[in-house]
Amino acid sequence: MASATTVKLVLSNEVRLVDAVHAAAETMAGIAGFEEDDALNVGIAVREAVINAIVHGNRMDPSRKVEVGLFARPRSIRVRVRDQGAGFDAAATPDPTSGDNLMRTSGRGILVMRAFVDSVDFKFREGRGMEVTLKKTRSGRRKSRTDGQTHDQTTSSKPAAAAAADNGGSER
Amino acid sequence: MKTTVRTVGQVSVVDLSGKITIGEGDVVLRDKVVELLDGGHSKILLSLEKVSYMDSAGIGELVACFKKAREKGGTVKLLKPSGKVEDLLQLTKLWEVFEIFDEEAPAVASF
Repeated sequence: MASATTVKLVLSNEVRLVDAVHAAAETMAGIAGFEEDDALNVGIAVREAVINAIVHGNRMDPSRKVEVGLFARPRSIRVRVRDQGAGFDAAATPDPTSGDNLMRTSGRGILVMRAFVDSVDFKFREGRGMEVTLKKTRSGRRKSRTDGQTHDQTTSSKPAAAAAADNGGSER
Repeated sequence: MKTTVRTVGQVSVVDLSGKITIGEGDVVLRDKVVELLDGGHSKILLSLEKVSYMDSAGIGELVACFKKAREKGGTVKLLKPSGKVEDLLQLTKLWEVFEIFDEEAPAVASF
C-alpha cells in the first residue's frame, strides 16, 4: 500500500484558525482524488470537528491545543482531531432535527459531520481528551493527483439528506 | 461574507455573498438582521443565491435571525438557496421551518 500524504497541525485554541484547517482538508481531499464538491464536503466535516474541539472539547480555554492529522491516500482520506477536554458521549447528544431542538441555535455539528463523510468515530482518551476520526473513500476511480494516472470519473458523493436519513439524526 | 440591502416595496432584501461560517459570516448576518429590525424593517428576505456554504454556526445564526425577527413581530424568509446551502437546510430539516422561495417576486409578494 502506498504511504499516505500527511499533514499534522497543532492549533492554538482559536476559532479563527478553523478556516486554515478547512482549507488544508480540502487540499488533502483533492490529493486523494475527490472531486471539488466532495472535497468541500470533507472540508466542512473537518471544520465541524475542529469547531467542536475548540468550543465544546476545550471550552474555549486558550491554554489548550487542538491536534489535527490529515492522511490522504489515492482513494481515501482520514482525518484525526484531538482536543484536551473532558470528553462527551456522542451517542447521548440530542437529535437537532427533532421537536424543540429544531429551533436551537447550536447542536448541529455532529449531524453535519456524519452527513458529509463516510464515518465519524469518537474515542475518549482518558486524561488526554477526545479523539474524533473522520474517513471518506471514493467509490469509483478517477484521476488522482498523487499518481497522475487517468481513470474513470465515478465518485462517492452522498446527498446530505440521504445521509441524514442513514444516520437517523441522533446527534447534537 | 458581504451583505447588501435593497428595498423592494416594504421588504428588505439582503443579498448575501460568500460563506456563513463561525466567527465571520455568522456575525455579519446577525448584525445586519438586528440592524434592520432595530430600524423598523420587519420584513426581511435573505437572498442566499451567492452563499457558497454554511457551517453549523452559520445555520444556527439563520435560526437566531428567524427567532429574533419573530420576537419583534417580524419575519425572515429565504430566497434561492442552492448547492451546499440547500443540502444543509434539508439535512437539518430547517427546510420545513423557513419559507423558502426560488424567485424574488413571489417571495416579496408573500409578506
